Amino acid sequence: MPIGVYVCHCGLNIAGVLNMEDLKSFAEKLPDVAVARDLQFSCSDIGQEQIQKDIAELKLDRVVVAACSPRLHEPTFRRAIAKAGLNPYMLEMANIREQCSWVHMEQPAMATEKAKDLIAMAVAKAALLKPLEPESIPVSKNVLVVGGGVAGIAAALDLGDCGLHVFLVERRPTIGGYMALLTDVFPTNDCSICVLGPKMSEVYNHPDITLITYAEVLGVEGSVGNFTVSGVRKARYVDEKLCKGCISECAGVCPVEVPSEYDFAIGKRKAIYIPYPQAVPLVACIDPKACIGCARCVEACPTQAVKLDQEPQDFKLNVGAIIVATGWQPFDATRKEEYGFGRYRDVITTLQMERMLNASGPTKGEVVRPSTGKIAESIAFLQCVGSRDSSVGNLYCSRICCMASLKNAQLVKEKYPHTDITIYYIDIRACGEGYEEFYVRAQKLGINFVRSRVSCIEEVEGELFLIFEDTQTGEMKRVKHDLAVLSVGLEPDSKADVLGNLLGLSRRPDGFFEIAHPKMRPVEAHIDGVFIAGCASGPKEIPISIAQGSAAAAKAVKLLHKGVLELEPTSAYVDPEKCIKCKLCVDLCPKKAIAVKSPAYVDEAACKGCGSCAAACPVDAINMRFFSDEQIMAQVRAATEVKREFPLIVAFLCNWCSYGAADLAGTARIQYPTNARNIRVMCSARVDPSFILEALRRGADGVLIAGCRIGECHYRDGNYQALQRVNVLKGVLEKIGLDPGRVKIVWCAASEGEIYAKDLRDFIGELKAMGPIGTELKKERAEEKNGETALP
Amino acid sequence: MKLAYYPGCVSQSTGKEMDASTRAVSTALGIELEELEDWNCCGATHVSNELVATGLAARNMAQTDLPIMTACSICYSNLRAAAQRLEETETLEKVNAVLDRKYSSARVRHALDVILEGLNEGDERIVVPLNGLLVAPYYGCLLTRPAGLYSPEFPTILEKLIKRLQAEPVDFRLKTFCCGGPIFMPKEKAADDIAFKILTEAKKAGAEVIVTVCPLCHLMLDAKQKVLEQKHGVRIGIPVLYVTQLAGIALGLGPEELGLFMNSVSPMAMMEKVYAMLSE
Repeated sequence: MPIGVYVCHCGLNIAGVLNMEDLKSFAEKLPDVAVARDLQFSCSDIGQEQIQKDIAELKLDRVVVAACSPRLHEPTFRRAIAKAGLNPYMLEMANIREQCSWVHMEQPAMATEKAKDLIAMAVAKAALLKPLEPESIPVSKNVLVVGGGVAGIAAALDLGDCGLHVFLVERRPTIGGYMALLTDVFPTNDCSICVLGPKMSEVYNHPDITLITYAEVLGVEGSVGNFTVSGVRKARYVDEKLCKGCISECAGVCPVEVPSEYDFAIGKRKAIYIPYPQAVPLVACIDPKACIGCARCVEACPTQAVKLDQEPQDFKLNVGAIIVATGWQPFDATRKEEYGFGRYRDVITTLQMERMLNASGPTKGEVVRPSTGKIAESIAFLQCVGSRDSSVGNLYCSRICCMASLKNAQLVKEKYPHTDITIYYIDIRACGEGYEEFYVRAQKLGINFVRSRVSCIEEVEGELFLIFEDTQTGEMKRVKHDLAVLSVGLEPDSKADVLGNLLGLSRRPDGFFEIAHPKMRPVEAHIDGVFIAGCASGPKEIPISIAQGSAAAAKAVKLLHKGVLELEPTSAYVDPEKCIKCKLCVDLCPKKAIAVKSPAYVDEAACKGCGSCAAACPVDAINMRFFSDEQIMAQVRAATEVKREFPLIVAFLCNWCSYGAADLAGTARIQYPTNARNIRVMCSARVDPSFILEALRRGADGVLIAGCRIGECHYRDGNYQALQRVNVLKGVLEKIGLDPGRVKIVWCAASEGEIYAKDLRDFIGELKAMGPIGTELKKERAEEKNGETALP
Repeated sequence: MKLAYYPGCVSQSTGKEMDASTRAVSTALGIELEELEDWNCCGATHVSNELVATGLAARNMAQTDLPIMTACSICYSNLRAAAQRLEETETLEKVNAVLDRKYSSARVRHALDVILEGLNEGDERIVVPLNGLLVAPYYGCLLTRPAGLYSPEFPTILEKLIKRLQAEPVDFRLKTFCCGGPIFMPKEKAADDIAFKILTEAKKAGAEVIVTVCPLCHLMLDAKQKVLEQKHGVRIGIPVLYVTQLAGIALGLGPEELGLFMNSVSPMAMMEKVYAMLSE
């Protein structure tokens, strides 16, 4: 296996510090090296042509480029060798610029020694490289959108218009979500259903959207590009095709009346009902819990659409991507017992207020006291009910409630100018285009604002009293109001748990679905091919939910439009002979890519190559196609072949953050000692304890593992897994008599070059204090003269 | 059933009737009480120093393996809070370092909860059913804290017990208001105002008697009632009973056993009414 080694000058960036001649002649003598050259600029056309020429003439079958960071030019050199006919994965880079010449400018001799190790490590790994073929898989061009609220509607319409086929699955009998139930919406106070209604019908009539309402998703199998989704359409007891939506005929004869969930229980509906007049599809539905089976609706229906013997129907869909737009649920106001919701009739929630203000709502737009049915003359809005409140476990701001109350207060004031309205608030949060102006408008309309978190509401002889401290005057007050509106916050929809579990979505501490990156990947889930839009990932107002729906649609289009998906061939694979089916890997895998049938099986389309499973497998049955056990071991051995300095540190850096931090330290020319020999891994969780033990056994004085900051792992929780393994290993080291401090795990973000350098300096200092590896064993032996040798 | 009994300091002073009625009711319900050996302060006297307070409580709780019952909400809250803090290894180690008998774990119960558990619906031991006597359930603050067992904002367990004794709980909206006790030394007027408000509101709600679960609440509402009447020139005259006393009356126990003569506002008129209803 002839290997070509190219040591790059990078002008003076490398050659200004390191001794190029020395490095070249060192490389020449390494095993399997057919040619070693130094190039002025290896990435230039001349440099690349030299490499290609050597591949052709010297029949090189693998190439090592000792130059800058692979994060910069690995793609360049992969393309170059591929052009010369080599498999692009037969390349290894030694990072002698960012992690050597740039950070050891004042120690050229030691830096050259370190560069020798880095080159030897790269050559050792290169010898074990295997050609890898990126696989292409055909993908389905269908997309499942779960949830027919405004975010799901936006996603479905954009996808349909792009020519992908959409299955929109909605739990309720109608799409529209909460937005369809609202009265006018901020900041322009336009009628909610008037702007949403046309979109709802558009969904219904779109040739590329299949609408599946009153249905639940019950199973998801497969992975990105090819999910198989199963579910059930609940029985409406009404034939969707026959029903004309006239509703007065059937509901007119129905003898059962129950509180309507679409009016949040201030209005009523019949056992056979249409949620609201603009429902889509406009088809009746029988509530089986309320229906007494009298069948009067069957007789009344002019089209014989009522079918009391209708059965639930299973469905199965093949889709390439899934958009989760499951939305939110209102905070249960009875949990704030001090406000008496559920005990005092005149204490209502924002959503009940929305329904009252709605012209097609239960009071036809009149704002009345539920206890008397009379127009409310004095109304209190209480903000932050169930938000920003640790006593109910919700620390977050629900974002929309300030604006919603400002809006409802304005609507009431416009309709009944003499109504006395007070908003009790902690802070008014009106940040959005036109929102502050909206707040000022409310003030000008004569709405009162009292800065206070109301302590309790009491009802005395049918009258409501709010008790609170006015924090602007410092006074305790007790004020009477006719109606108290609790501005309930937004909570994650608990009914979305089933889907979340099926897809393996993680939840943040606030309970909402977690997105892949809190800033950079706002609509992607951790699972490939799954996107999250709208309030499923946290409280959002309407325009942002729509933007997210469209963004998720764009992501799905990007993923599926070609009809094929190219897979990085860096995945894990299982040796079926060795697998003992312990399922340890299944639980660890952040991508849910492993299933244990018999034996374990890796779905290579879903695997992202973090390697945690390979590190965890108790029988080494899992290995990685890239960053394999053998390759990493070869790097460890090469790093410890000649101990060129004390303390010698073998460092494992995760590709995403800490390797980036080390590169940044280079770009920023942060100077630190030369002791570390860095090995790049995809994730800190890839570090198998056997790598660490091998490094120490071969004379490394310490091993450093650096991962992303806790909570920022690019694979979900790999750094936690690494930490756990290191902690266990420290215990083992202690048992065999080695100082557990020789293994250190640190966290640095890709922006934290300074922190990486500091961590390394600290570690070097600690190791100096410990002395060379084995010092502690000698000491122990000297202390216990009869003691046996404890060296492994 | 056998329980360890922690009387608390009040049982030796202003709350002798609480102690007497607790013991009497327990006997009547067949609950054997084993008084904690060499008990000390629950920690209430050292609330400003959490570690000392926890240590004092731990020393009490380490005296027994049985569940510990107390009738005083202050003791109850302090012991429970300490038990929660002692779940942390660091605190546990610090405390156990100075204890002879080491603390490991404890279950603390309030007499209220023990009585409710011991009485069935329509229990035949209720020989003097309270027949619709209008009772204001007054919780104060400490029964429900630390949070977890009962809602601190709207608890209902007292109402449940009152109904089980066949009395009628009134809708008493100040049931979780502060009694004023904690501030009656530094801010006497404010404390008096609060206590007066609670008493008058209870009367307004139609209550014939107030039931309490805490000796400090009892002190504020019962012992201070006469002073408050003089101050405001209003006659209040509403008896304030410990929950153990109320339960004892229903169980047919006599005024002596329940320490009813020790209450400042005499409940005897109320007792007479209850017995009169019985003979009707």
